Amino acid sequence: MAKVLVVDDEPNIVLSLEFLMQQAGFEVKTAEEGETALELVASFQPDLLLLDISLPGISGFEVLETLREQDEFKRLPIIMLTAHGREVEKEKGLALGADDYITKPFSTRQLVDKVTALIQEKDNNNQGA
Amino acid sequence: MPHRQKLLGLWMLLTGSSIFLGLLSGLWLESQLQPEGFARLLLWFFCLSAGLLLILIGLPLEVQLFRPLRHLQVQLARLAGNPDAQNDFPPEGWLTVLQPDLERLRQGWRNDRALLGEAKIQGAKDAARIRQELEALLQVLKVPLLLCDRHQRLLLFNPAAEQLFAKNPALGLGRRLEELLPAPSLSDALHQLPKDGSPRQLLLPHEDRWFLCDLRQVLASQGEALVTLEDATERQQTDQRWRKPLGSLLPALRGHAANLATAGEVLSSGNTGPELNNRLQTAMHQDSQALSGLISELAQLLENLHLEQGQLSDTWSNDLWQALLPSLDQQLQLTPIGIPVWLRADSPSLLALLQRLLTQLQEATGQTSFESEIQLGNNRVYLDLIWKGEPLSLSLLQEWQEMTLADEDMSPRMGDILRRHSSDWWSLQDADGVYARLRIPLPAAKRVYPPPPAIESRPEFHDFSIADLPAPTDELGQLRLNQLEMVVFDTETTGLELRKGDKVISIGACRLLKGRLLAQEVFDQKVNPNRPIPPASTRIHGLTDADVEKSPPLKVVLPRFREFVGNGILVAHNAAFDLLAINLEAAELDIEFNMPVLDTLLLSRGLDKNLEGHGLDNLAERFELTFPPGTRHTALGDARVTAELLLALLPRLEARGIHTLKDALELQKAQVEAS
Repeated sequence: MAKVLVVDDEPNIVLSLEFLMQQAGFEVKTAEEGETALELVASFQPDLLLLDISLPGISGFEVLETLREQDEFKRLPIIMLTAHGREVEKEKGLALGADDYITKPFSTRQLVDKVTALIQEKDNNNQGA
Repeated sequence: MPHRQKLLGLWMLLTGSSIFLGLLSGLWLESQLQPEGFARLLLWFFCLSAGLLLILIGLPLEVQLFRPLRHLQVQLARLAGNPDAQNDFPPEGWLTVLQPDLERLRQGWRNDRALLGEAKIQGAKDAARIRQELEALLQVLKVPLLLCDRHQRLLLFNPAAEQLFAKNPALGLGRRLEELLPAPSLSDALHQLPKDGSPRQLLLPHEDRWFLCDLRQVLASQGEALVTLEDATERQQTDQRWRKPLGSLLPALRGHAANLATAGEVLSSGNTGPELNNRLQTAMHQDSQALSGLISELAQLLENLHLEQGQLSDTWSNDLWQALLPSLDQQLQLTPIGIPVWLRADSPSLLALLQRLLTQLQEATGQTSFESEIQLGNNRVYLDLIWKGEPLSLSLLQEWQEMTLADEDMSPRMGDILRRHSSDWWSLQDADGVYARLRIPLPAAKRVYPPPPAIESRPEFHDFSIADLPAPTDELGQLRLNQLEMVVFDTETTGLELRKGDKVISIGACRLLKGRLLAQEVFDQKVNPNRPIPPASTRIHGLTDADVEKSPPLKVVLPRFREFVGNGILVAHNAAFDLLAINLEAAELDIEFNMPVLDTLLLSRGLDKNLEGHGLDNLAERFELTFPPGTRHTALGDARVTAELLLALLPRLEARGIHTLKDALELQKAQVEAS
């Protein structure tokens, strides 16, 4: 079963995302802070990370940057979430190595599709490798 | 005092008649009384005594009083002109007593004159200084500004106004404001400006732009009005760009939110069956999807609005580097690379940010040599600072965002400047692994072409004496020649036979105002005659078919030339030819050149009837006027020399009693009739 880590400081959205991902057949863990997220990535070894930008403590961008600096997580699929929706944030996220970017509010169906597609792609790459 | 001759005549007449009458009466008394000896002597003495008395009184009066008075008159006339005049005639005779008083007067007048002279020099210096300061201020003022007198003639405009009306030939000193901005509402507003100097605002459409005009009467003036302009086109368009979508977004948002709220309430009531539940869930899903879409649109709209309404202005990247480089620390080397582009920036704050940022970069990377590059992105440009080495961490960049630009607490932080540009920054390693860059995305400007070269400011951009000219409604003919606004023009043609189809290929004109040739007020336009230029004609003016191939035809040029002429009168050398050249076409276009026309050829003939040779070359030589190399037989070159010629003729016309336009036109008429 593929594993998804949801990182967001908004409990309501975490609840919904957890439910949605479980419905889609993924094993889910959640974190509400950047530091916890980094620890969980190392211990839980998710196949995909749903990462909010605004987090207490270190920001989503910094989590992204830290992960991309580690060889182990260079290819971990990461989808950034943000409520701001500013064009420049999207660019910054993608420039720092995010695979996709979703603005709140978002279509749950679209999110599940994106997550599934990215995990599928990762599996294909792994098999290819 | 009566003339000396009159006094002398009167004295001689009185003396002569007294002696004559004395002789007559002496002879008559002698014949009657026949006196002898002493009695006869007494009789003759008595009869001639009146004449003798007159002789005896007259001589000392002349020497002691009348001659000194005449000398005093001469001396006073000299003194009135100049206190240092030679003292050839000091008071003499009975007037000698006036000497000390006269000397005191002379000394007082001398002192006063010296004081007056000094005050005049100081006043001129002060006026010049104030003028220079005013000119410097106007040169840098970015607000287009026009000053006009109570007859709405332009007394002053600044370079910003010149830039704004760069393509409008109606901008010129002494020109009417209504020619520049032909809007009745402007004219009305100017007439009704409050006397206390409080402003009035007007939004004027002009060609394809909107101008926000601020009008106010200048206090303590003779009704001069100050007009400042703001190009409000962009603001108007921006308003339109967000008002309309916002107007349609809000009701849609409300609608979907209401649907969601209602569906939620119905669901929470718990009385719904499975079928209604399903329908309500589908509806809620659709509404929330629609809400997401609308909120994204709203976010995009707000971001665009923020960019458009901020203090951002179109900036040419090269200008940015040019301003930045001199302000950098000497040890820091920044080399701009890549193709320059337009971006939208609040340049002063962006410059301060870059200055601070480069110092930080120098510290963090240990490098002193950086490259800067601006690349085009999607609706954005990327300002990159590049160095050899590793990229910077986000936490460090985040720390920098909190740093102030200057050491004061109130100074903005670097992050504030980024937010002002709706921007952020991040650092990346280049693909070559050697270089790293810090990237700042900035809004792109819509412009593509490099900025036009700066217009060199006109040497004459104000002339306050225009306000002293008579009102334009006064009888033009009564105006003095040196008060007239004149447009001196010349045409070049394909040949001399205009009535047989020769056409204009170039019009050149310059403006004379109050006896001054305005250096930058020129009209210089080649015209496509739509027919070949004969080689014989090319030999004279040097213009070939290729030179005029891309020029507009006369029907396009002529309305612009008419606009340039404005309220001026026309002047040309051998004006009949040039007038015919333009009038043949003007009639078809319904344009009238019905103003008075002065002809320097006719005026010169009128002045020097006995001299031969009144061609432009002869006259230029006679009055020592020079054509700059290569300008003879160019329309503008000939027009300028004709203008100089007219200026040389003006004082001679004045000396002949030809003061007004009417006088000059009469002199011309007489020449035409004489020939």
